[in-house]
Amino acid sequence: MSYGTIIQQGRFTADGSSKNLSIRSDFDWIKVYNETAIIQAVANLGAEFYFQRGMTNGRGMVNTKLGAVANDPMSLGQIAASSGFTLLDTSGNPLSASVAITAATDVVRPIVSTGSTAGVVAGSIVRLSSMTGQEDLSGYDFAVDTIVTDTSFRLAAALATAPGAAATAGNYRVVNFDPLFYPRHRFITNITQAANAVVTVSVPSGYKVGQEVRVVVPTTSQAGTSDFGMVEINGLVGTVTAVDDTLATQTVTLDIDSSAFTAFTFPTAAKAAVALSKAMLVPVGIDTATAIAQSQDLLSDATDNQGLIGVKLAAGNLAPAGNANDVIYWVAGKSFSVDNQ
Amino acid sequence: MRLGVSLRQTEDELTRNMLASTASQVNCVNGTNGDNPTELTKEDVDEVVKALLGADAHMFLSGISGEDKFGTAPVRNAYFALASTDLSGSLSNVAGFIHQSQYPSQDKVLDSEWGAVGNLRFLLSSIGSKTASSSANGNDVYNVFCVAKEAYACVEQDGASAQFIYRPAVYSGPLAQNVTIGYKFAEVPRILNDAWVSNLRCTLS
Repeated sequence: MSYGTIIQQGRFTADGSSKNLSIRSDFDWIKVYNETAIIQAVANLGAEFYFQRGMTNGRGMVNTKLGAVANDPMSLGQIAASSGFTLLDTSGNPLSASVAITAATDVVRPIVSTGSTAGVVAGSIVRLSSMTGQEDLSGYDFAVDTIVTDTSFRLAAALATAPGAAATAGNYRVVNFDPLFYPRHRFITNITQAANAVVTVSVPSGYKVGQEVRVVVPTTSQAGTSDFGMVEINGLVGTVTAVDDTLATQTVTLDIDSSAFTAFTFPTAAKAAVALSKAMLVPVGIDTATAIAQSQDLLSDATDNQGLIGVKLAAGNLAPAGNANDVIYWVAGKSFSVDNQ
Repeated sequence: MRLGVSLRQTEDELTRNMLASTASQVNCVNGTNGDNPTELTKEDVDEVVKALLGADAHMFLSGISGEDKFGTAPVRNAYFALASTDLSGSLSNVAGFIHQSQYPSQDKVLDSEWGAVGNLRFLLSSIGSKTASSSANGNDVYNVFCVAKEAYACVEQDGASAQFIYRPAVYSGPLAQNVTIGYKFAEVPRILNDAWVSNLRCTLS
């Protein structure tokens, strides 16, 4: 490949969340065109976006079409912080800078208060730490929704039981990408007592019907009894019969009859004041009969390196990944020489 | 970095990342540093060993018999514990830790071996796994992969195992000005039995 050329291009239909583009040979510049916004019936949508090496990571430039009809003027501006192009290299540290949490509510879907939600959109994953009052949530990764700009966000997955107290302080970091290899283990926030146990996980699982997972529920603690209740399910392997990765649902249904098991509880903050392990789902293989019966890929459980070099496009009215159902074109290139002084 | 070292370290890093992504985890909980997970302790090692034994996992190494040598101690048969060199100091503080220099027989010591605790022999590497800012207090968490025989494997595709390729200058053009050297491989690390590997997570003491 010679330099100074366009190296990759593509198109996608936006789903309202951020979009990762894999550009293996890396890039020096990228342009994004939101075709839906260009032919928009709604005014003031970002139509054309540009980023090149040397610009602030997470930003870029946007051309906004001001009116709702053809030939309306365009207005050039800088994309808001964390709402543009973010360089990705999944071999690096996935975490953004630590941000202070000022409070969190004591409900099964805690609302977390913070002075900055920069870079947080619905579906973002945050890692919580140093949660004063909610020590049981520290160390967990959670997908979030219901973002109120620079005010709060909500932990999307429902806990089996409320944390036990409100938090008065803490920290979060945005986790920009998943661990490298699929299928990944996931932390459990709830398990129902049912003929087919429904497991809620803190981050959408990405599992497929037919895959098999082992349920790990710590059976002992320093207090001598389990912090999680449903010890009977510990170590059992179940076949996945349904997956719902919809944000705030995030469930995996297993062919394990948990109806007679002890109720699952999420450890209280008091229990988490001493160290404890987490309940988790661990992928272990696939039930080929179920996969065939459900017309699923027999190799969906294959260990897959999903690492990438590329860019994350943020979603929103003035962001390159646009809004749900927008048709978006992009083109990326490499320069012969980059001279950023 | 030397290219040959890069080749082998890249293979190791891929295996490391696979284990960190997919293996089951258990936190060290018996330490006293006030974090979750805590620092590594003998009790945490014993819990993992008990779980591996309960899964009929086979050990890698047989024991080293005691000998009448001053300052040495017999070493138990063992599983491997793969960890970061950052843990070298913490390991020395673990009750029952035997540094490899105290093994009765030095010809049984492995290249990267730091020592033994109970039925785990610790192999340390500068590219050992750690998860950034993942403890309750926001500290880095170290992943200690406790593995038994045949717990995981690296699957190489036919004809695509690691190749180290050197091309002398004569291949570069009529003026023979440039040589090239590089490597390529295609392989997939994969857990074979999830019950035979456990990620024992800890923080520093």
